[in-house]
Amino acid sequence: MGAAGVVGATSRTARAASNKQFKGYADSNAVLHDMTRCIGCRRCEAACNTVNELPAPEQPFDDLKVMEAWRRTTARTYTVVNQFFPDGDTLPPVFVKKQCNHCLEPACASACFVKAFTKTPEGAVIYNADVCVGCRYCMVACPFDIPAYEYHKALDPKIMKCTMCHPRILEGKLPGCVEACPTEALVYGKRDELIRVARDRIHTFPDRYLDHIYGEHEMGGTSWLYLSGAPFEALGLREDLGNKAAGEYTSGALGAVPIVIGLWPVLLTGIYAINKRKEKIAAEERAAAVSEAVDHAEVQAEGRLKAALEKAEQDKAAAIEREFKKALEAEAKARLASGGSETGDGEKA
Amino acid sequence: MVLPFGLLMLTALLVSLAVARQAPSEPIPGRADIITIDGLRAFGPLERPPVVFFHGKHTEALAKAQKDCLACHPQGEKYLSLKYNRTADTDKQAVMDVYHDGCIGCHADYRSQNQPSGPVTCGECHVAEKAVNNIRAGIGLDKSLHYRHVKAAEQKCERCHHAYNPETKQLYYDKGKEGACLYCHKDQTQENRIAYRQAAHLDCVGCHRELSLQKKTAGPMECAGCHDPEAQALIAKVADIPRLERNQPDVTLVKAHREDEKVDAQKPRMALVPFDHLKHEGATQYCRTCHHAELTSCASCHPIQGHADGKMVKLSQAMHEQDAQMSCVGCHTQKQLRAECAGCHASMPAEKVWAGEAACKVCHMPQEAPVARPGYEMLASEMAASLIDARRQIPPPVAVEDIPETVIIDHLVDAYEAVKMPHRQIVQKLSDLMRDDALAAAFHTQPTTFCQGCHHNSPASLKPPQCGSCHGRTSDAMNLTRPGLMAAYHEQCMLCHEKMGIEKPANRDCTACHAKRAETARNN
Ligand code: SF4
Ligand code: SF4
Repeated sequence: MGAAGVVGATSRTARAASNKQFKGYADSNAVLHDMTRCIGCRRCEAACNTVNELPAPEQPFDDLKVMEAWRRTTARTYTVVNQFFPDGDTLPPVFVKKQCNHCLEPACASACFVKAFTKTPEGAVIYNADVCVGCRYCMVACPFDIPAYEYHKALDPKIMKCTMCHPRILEGKLPGCVEACPTEALVYGKRDELIRVARDRIHTFPDRYLDHIYGEHEMGGTSWLYLSGAPFEALGLREDLGNKAAGEYTSGALGAVPIVIGLWPVLLTGIYAINKRKEKIAAEERAAAVSEAVDHAEVQAEGRLKAALEKAEQDKAAAIEREFKKALEAEAKARLASGGSETGDGEKA
Repeated sequence: MVLPFGLLMLTALLVSLAVARQAPSEPIPGRADIITIDGLRAFGPLERPPVVFFHGKHTEALAKAQKDCLACHPQGEKYLSLKYNRTADTDKQAVMDVYHDGCIGCHADYRSQNQPSGPVTCGECHVAEKAVNNIRAGIGLDKSLHYRHVKAAEQKCERCHHAYNPETKQLYYDKGKEGACLYCHKDQTQENRIAYRQAAHLDCVGCHRELSLQKKTAGPMECAGCHDPEAQALIAKVADIPRLERNQPDVTLVKAHREDEKVDAQKPRMALVPFDHLKHEGATQYCRTCHHAELTSCASCHPIQGHADGKMVKLSQAMHEQDAQMSCVGCHTQKQLRAECAGCHASMPAEKVWAGEAACKVCHMPQEAPVARPGYEMLASEMAASLIDARRQIPPPVAVEDIPETVIIDHLVDAYEAVKMPHRQIVQKLSDLMRDDALAAAFHTQPTTFCQGCHHNSPASLKPPQCGSCHGRTSDAMNLTRPGLMAAYHEQCMLCHEKMGIEKPANRDCTACHAKRAETARNN
């Protein structure tokens, strides 16, 4: 368990969680993205748009020209397929689908102190907008630059990201993208099984694949797995993340110190340590929002929009403070209830 | 509590604004003339980083000043010394002085004459990391280049080929025993046997220089002439190279034992392999492609049981190792990468290609053992010849009318209409490509063998099962190694097109294969 469960929980469970490694739910599901099979048709993007009822894109999904520029996930797009030329511009490109990787121990969840993110036993990392206070710490924490924020909405903006089609999974359906993929560059199944399948492919076609399943261990493991013939780093998949989950960077400190006000900097330092690009994402998001706001301003009264945005900011700040106080109070209460063991000789694993 | 939080965000934003995107760095030009001067390593650890030296730059500058190699390389025993301004490494100080006096002295001279010159201070030459792109490519005497040298040397093999007599401690010419330089000259100098690199530069460049001094046509003397890939591509290829005569057979039975081994003829074993040596000569660039250590039979180092001479690699391993260039299976596997083969073979696991009785029998043709009889050599070649003749008998191809002309793929019609696959046209195109390929002819043992490129996992037959017999409708979480029908079709077609370099239909041009279905038809 990452730090997500920690804030609201007792110090006893915090200790227990920090002492063992969470290696994912048994029997959870995953998706295997075999880039050697991906043809970059964007049908997964289209399917994602439909099943999640996202706004229509500016360019239609059969327009493949959009791939000329690198894209990231946004509040309106849960998944994008990018093309890379790992061997120079002349050779056939490699297509890489980008979406939430549904980490086994999600950094986004670690960073969220209101527990807006849940790792479900099915494998999906889902988000609950009802409790979200809009602090956007998940965006800063995610090493894969995934969560996006509805900057364009002045009121009640939400974090937007892939849900692995959790509602569909519960209905026994395939994730939308997987179902739409004409080449099975995406397959859905039990994570353990998919790792075996991936290894089998590597073994059978040693010249076609690198001997590495991306996501098997990265960031403590993810529920989106990747196979490739070209180095992952050359395909926009970070190889500097290490194999530890986000929570583990802070678990030592968390285990020793009961949850006190001092926790925040510790937690944040941990997140900062693994995510050197956090500033960039925030800035890109902010820049996108600013340009959007500027566009808007041409249509709407500039002053009104500005005022609305400012108000939203203030509301958010207040909400954050409120929620944080609540969390601390809950924590204090819980500590009293559990006998207030400050030295923490509670549960032993 | 909100304060540190907000501050952090603010800092984050400020930091990010300060970090500008790095401009893509200029491509580093490639050089084929990079020499690392680290001669002092012989006397212990280096005190300063070795010097990265561009040889070509210096030969150019010297040529402009009407100077030749002798400006830096003194005359050695036969050719010029490969070392800079000395013929031997005496002691550390002496060697260091040679470089410092020679290099800095010359650079200083040029400077004083106001001419372009090189560095004169320590740090300018001893640079820890230098951004250079080494494009140096090794060069070998392939059959074409070898033949050009044979002609230039007026068939006098002894000009290059030599052997060493340990008694007289002399090099001599051993007629009929010529081999590749690499057989004796290894990566490192061993006792008095100089390293390959040294031998090549001493003899090749030395000879080129002598010829050019005699105003005769000579090969390159500057690094790039041999080692720049672009220059290599310019070396003319000789068409119709006469066969290299080295007492090799035209056809033979592949030997399984060393000459001195006692063979029990009663022992059961694999059928010997008739081998068309002549044909393989035409398919390889070098004799050493297969004869990687010496020009003898494979079994002289790799007998059935293995031998120390061949690092205990047994004959079966030597012949079947898939990753080794010089093994039969290794080289034949490489051939499957050719565009005309890769369409089918890229999606076929290698173990499947090389497994099965049919594959073994292509080489190990059932036969009587010739070894027990007198006159082994003659019989072996006769027998090999007749077996090879038999192997060349190709069964007649499938009759045109037995190849379905069009196959309609309509099982999955939904967003797109059915595909009318020009089945016969595809089969005929593939047959055409294979017609003159001896390898394909030998290994595709039945006329229907190559049908299995698509109709895999079922016995070769004129009426193979349809794709849908095995592949289900959608991706099947219960059977993750077997794609669903839609993916099976797309993968089979697309991977083949990609590997064969077929540009149309493009993978993402859906309507090139199946027309888009009208929305109304779809909803019905
Ligand atoms: S649908 Fe499949 S093949 Fe097409 S872009 Fe998405 S992952 Fe790649
Ligand atoms: S990829 Fe990012 S958003 Fe998705 S679960 Fe991992 S940390 Fe959270």
